[in-house]
Amino acid sequence: MISGTSSWLPATSVSASGKRIQREMVELNNDPPPHCSAGPKGDNLYHWIATIIGTPGTPYQGGIFFLDIIFPTDYPFNPPQVVFKTRIYHCNVEPDGHVSMGILKDGWSPALTITKVLLAVRSLLTNPDPYNAVVPGIAHLYLGDRAKHDDIAAEWTVRFAK
Amino acid sequence: MVESEEQKRSPIIQKKLMESNSQNMATLISPRFKSAAAMAGWDEEALLLATLIVEDTPVRDSKHKKRFVLNSKSPHNNSSRKRRVLRNPRPIVLDLDEEETPKKDNGKKKKEKKNCVSEGINKVEENENKLTEKNSTTASALPCIDKLREELSCAICLEICFEPSTTPCGHSFCRKCLRSAADKCGKKCPKCRQLISNGRSCTVNTVLWNTIQLLFPQEIEARKVMSTTNNRQAASQIVIPETTFYTNTRNRSIQPIYPSSRRNDIDEDAALARILQRQIDTTTTRVHRNQTSSSSSSSNNVGRVRTRRGVSTNQDEDAAFALRLQREEFLQAFKSNSSSNHEEQPSSSSSTTSLGRANLRAMATRAMNLRNSRNRRM
Repeated sequence: MISGTSSWLPATSVSASGKRIQREMVELNNDPPPHCSAGPKGDNLYHWIATIIGTPGTPYQGGIFFLDIIFPTDYPFNPPQVVFKTRIYHCNVEPDGHVSMGILKDGWSPALTITKVLLAVRSLLTNPDPYNAVVPGIAHLYLGDRAKHDDIAAEWTVRFAK
Repeated sequence: MVESEEQKRSPIIQKKLMESNSQNMATLISPRFKSAAAMAGWDEEALLLATLIVEDTPVRDSKHKKRFVLNSKSPHNNSSRKRRVLRNPRPIVLDLDEEETPKKDNGKKKKEKKNCVSEGINKVEENENKLTEKNSTTASALPCIDKLREELSCAICLEICFEPSTTPCGHSFCRKCLRSAADKCGKKCPKCRQLISNGRSCTVNTVLWNTIQLLFPQEIEARKVMSTTNNRQAASQIVIPETTFYTNTRNRSIQPIYPSSRRNDIDEDAALARILQRQIDTTTTRVHRNQTSSSSSSSNNVGRVRTRRGVSTNQDEDAAFALRLQREEFLQAFKSNSSSNHEEQPSSSSSTTSLGRANLRAMATRAMNLRNSRNRRM
């Protein structure tokens, strides 16, 4: 598969970031997180595509959400960029799909992996953070009228994510 | 049965025993024990004698007999005296058990070795008994190696920690990874975000590093070798300087594109052979310095190795030697790999290279044989 630990001379030379991304890919394939998947989009190791399946019991239930993950060249020392490609009604997701999350900004740590990022995104869908929202309208609705918020979110899920 | 044993002892010893023990006989054997012995049909004197023979004669004809005597008395181990007697032969019993514990260690080592050094190493002349023993242990050695790998890998590069450095909060990373994390992401632990005190975090956790080197010699050697093969001059040095792994991976792509001249390759092979030869020589002499045989020419290494093996040596020396050998092997493998990329070589030079290579391989095999046999002895 990918140059593992056992082969001491990989076929191609890769940078440290590439090596780390390759390892993450291997680990993700060996032990995929629940209801998530991820992998390189094409030949480019630094551009991944991921899917998250909406958690049952949330308005996103049943939806399949596609995300783009773009790794910086100095990954893992800088966070990857995570962008929803599927439209989603969520106070922490910008209209263009950029996910606003602490661990993808200042809270990033090189010890975090894509697996952990995907799990974090998934838990963000379950528990939105209206106090650090990027779409204030949705956050207001979430705090003021939760039922209506959930209805709209479920409707968006049916419209865009199925 | 014990009586017949006793008759084999010289009468002088018997007399001495009687003398020395008649005074403290009362203290030696408790009344309870005496009654128990009487019930078993032993008379006191015979009992005492049997006891003392075992205790006072550490060197007996054979372990077998000793244990036989021991067994015959084993029902009466109530008295303290008896217990003392029983404790004495215990080293013998332990001897049998102790073979189990080193065997496990050996199994571990052997497994590593099997992984690292490719072919030809394991065909050592030895009896089948040991061979089967070895096979059984290799199969069961370290079932938790995957867990260990996970546990000992760096959270930043996701590989086995290379020169691990431990933060004040107790998390370990490759030294280089931790340094760049501190540079680029602030001075906090990547795992728990605790503050890392300035600069202190760049010391290598030696215990952890040694453990990793012992557990994953292959990976570590691979990294080290990669650094050496890049640094061409380093091939002539025995102690390889630590170099950045990442710079090496970057440089590696250059190597096939600008291969050094063939002439150079051959020279390096020869140099390598010389180094290896020197190492083998020094090690063998170091190993057998206790013995007084003459160290003659290096050409009959095999004989020297075979006749003088089994002398106990420093474990560290062994480990260092093995590491060096492995390194050379990898170097060698890499060389043959890269040289095969060159379309054609002058026939004369290629024969020289292959000759050197064959020599090297033979030497490595011999050295590993030596090590193998020594391991087995211990």
